[in-house]
Amino acid sequence: MKIVIDPTRCQGHGTCAALLAEYIEMDKWHYPILSKNQLKDSHMEAAKKAVQLCPELAIKIVEG
Amino acid sequence: MTDSTSTSIMAPSGARRITLGWDANWKTSNPEIAFAGHSQSRTRLSLAEHISNYGRIPTGFTYSLVSDSLRVANLTGRGGAKFPFYKKLAAVYEADRKKGCYIVANGAESEPLSIKDSMLLRTNPHLVIDGLVMIAEVLGAKGAYIYVKDKEAHSAINAALRERRERGFTEAKVTVVDAPATYVAGQETSVIRRIEKGPALPKFSIERVAVAGVKGQPTLLSNVETFAHLGLILRFGADWYRSGRSGFDSGSRLVTVSGSVDRPGLYEVSSGVAIGDILREAKAHSVRAVLVGGYFGGWLNVRDENDLKLIYDDSTLGEKKLSIGAGILGVLSKETCPVVEAASIVDYLAEQSAGQCGPCIHGLPEISTAFARIALSSNVDRGITELKAVIPLVERRGGCQHPDGVIAHVRSTVAAFGEEIKLHKAGKCSVASSNHQSMLLPKNAQGNLAAASGR
Repeated sequence: MKIVIDPTRCQGHGTCAALLAEYIEMDKWHYPILSKNQLKDSHMEAAKKAVQLCPELAIKIVEG
Repeated sequence: MTDSTSTSIMAPSGARRITLGWDANWKTSNPEIAFAGHSQSRTRLSLAEHISNYGRIPTGFTYSLVSDSLRVANLTGRGGAKFPFYKKLAAVYEADRKKGCYIVANGAESEPLSIKDSMLLRTNPHLVIDGLVMIAEVLGAKGAYIYVKDKEAHSAINAALRERRERGFTEAKVTVVDAPATYVAGQETSVIRRIEKGPALPKFSIERVAVAGVKGQPTLLSNVETFAHLGLILRFGADWYRSGRSGFDSGSRLVTVSGSVDRPGLYEVSSGVAIGDILREAKAHSVRAVLVGGYFGGWLNVRDENDLKLIYDDSTLGEKKLSIGAGILGVLSKETCPVVEAASIVDYLAEQSAGQCGPCIHGLPEISTAFARIALSSNVDRGITELKAVIPLVERRGGCQHPDGVIAHVRSTVAAFGEEIKLHKAGKCSVASSNHQSMLLPKNAQGNLAAASGR
């Protein structure tokens, strides 16, 4: 499974970066940079939480 | 191709013209180049004229026949992506079409310097419709769309569709959809959203349009000019289209020439001509540089005549990191500093952001500001440092191609005009005038670089 962020929806709230620090860092404008997207099983719970908590519904977990 | 009626029309030899038919009035001194005039100078070909020029619309194609034809013809999309059309067709054909599929001809013509799509649709809408309905038949499409910015082109298509209905043609339904005159309106996903009655803004998708386009169904989307060529290839065959020429895409193409030329307008050129050949017909003068492809294209630095001997095809242009793109040649005169012109275009593009993605909203103004410092010789070193820092924060992070196109323009400028930038470093410029009037920006978009550099 992998993480996908829709940049057209993202407003830079930063919830995903807080929950998935290993995958996501914030740029200087406070928008997420996906440094890697292949999700480890042990991070699945945190990723699901990031999906639920994103106010813009911008982050998704997809096959692949 | 077994259509008996097309054999009664002799395929044109040497003149493979999609806009012009066999109209001798539009010849130039070079048999490989035809001048199709300005936006107001031609009227629409009626259905009767169209059929008398090109022959009846052949039907009964199979996928394999069309696919083979297009592979041999080597037709590539005419919107700028250089993608072989038979591969695009295959992607839609092989996708899950159980719930139908759609065909879209993109005539958004969002590049401000281009007039080819609106001219083609105003003059010869039937040829574009032919290509559309032939492919719709092959794919069993639910519907076909023409997405068009130009109002007169819109009327011309509607008139053409009316003629076809009156003649009792049984073919796929074609719907015309208006495109707004914004730069991002031509992005693939903007087109899809607009057809679905949404705003003409890019949409993020992990699926390609070929798999999930209009209404989530497989969609074949290409530039309107691509469909016009299809309309001829499927009549006269791939061998005719190639006419003994080899290479990347040997068919003719539409080229809009503007800037420092006495005969601006639309040209249809055969493959194999040099950029200089086209500029000679357009009566270009005092040539300093040529913008090749459009705002998303790149710059050719012209030091002497030899630089204009570059052959106008994608394989040769590719060696200089240039591309035919949307078929634009914008000629810059020696009275204009190319770096200032490029920075003005970049500033315009920054303002044309859809305003959806953070890196584009924040990054493009920063790129424009840094680039203006270089262009205005105010602080070149600082500009370069800022560009190096901001570009990685923007590149490949947008929901569409817009920010990457802007970055490509910046890189091309730096690659082409190193000498000029050196001058700017010393606080100078090869052009004395401090009052820069852009040659290649839309009249209503004359930017203010000084303001950009002071942001």
